[in-house]
Amino acid sequence: MPEQKVVVTIDEDGGLTAKTSGFKGETCLSALDELLSLDGVISHVKTTDEYHQEQMLKRRRKQEVKGN
Amino acid sequence: MSAVIKTTTPFTIQEVLLEALEAVGAEPETVTTESLQVQSHRGGLKVGDILTNRTDYNGPQHFRFEGGRWILRHDSDEMNGIVTAVGAASREYRRVAQFLASVSKEYGAAYQRHLDKLAEQERARVEEARKARVEATRKQVITNAKAQGYSVKEVRNGNKIQVVLTRTV
Repeated sequence: MPEQKVVVTIDEDGGLTAKTSGFKGETCLSALDELLSLDGVISHVKTTDEYHQEQMLKRRRKQEVKGN
Repeated sequence: MSAVIKTTTPFTIQEVLLEALEAVGAEPETVTTESLQVQSHRGGLKVGDILTNRTDYNGPQHFRFEGGRWILRHDSDEMNGIVTAVGAASREYRRVAQFLASVSKEYGAAYQRHLDKLAEQERARVEEARKARVEATRKQVITNAKAQGYSVKEVRNGNKIQVVLTRTV
């Protein structure tokens, strides 16, 4: 079974840095939001290669569906 | 005629004044209901007045809080002025102006220590708030993670806390 992993680092001021792996596309962001209650407090988001790969895969699937 | 006068530092903080009076050997004593039974002054004493070991015709010279500052109440002629306390380093009576000048100097030093103490208390308060914030964040992350089926592993690295959350889907 696939594993989802979140590494949360709490800094000395209570600020958070979180890195996810094993999530599909944008679900990583919503998972983080549910986990960390991030509404309105994110200062920076950097998406990973895994995220982009998933997004490309989605687009390709869409194109394939349209092509059919 | 011309004149130059210099007023003393306004003695506004009781704790600082008491420290300054201790430093000049004035052996301050705050008047209580009990001490009113044994102490007297021609102008009257009130609970909360600060007695010194200096007396004059009117009785013990003392500070009273009036108009936002502590004022020394004494006989204007300083008649029969003496220092009474046995424990005083010097029992030599100095004129009120001289006495207040030394109290003023010590008050300045004590005030600086007072500010340092306040700064230290504020620093400690901010540090406690920071620790509480970190702890609250840690608890929130772990509670939410467990509720969502993650297993939690926690590592402390200096001032930072790393929480590794894993789950299979």
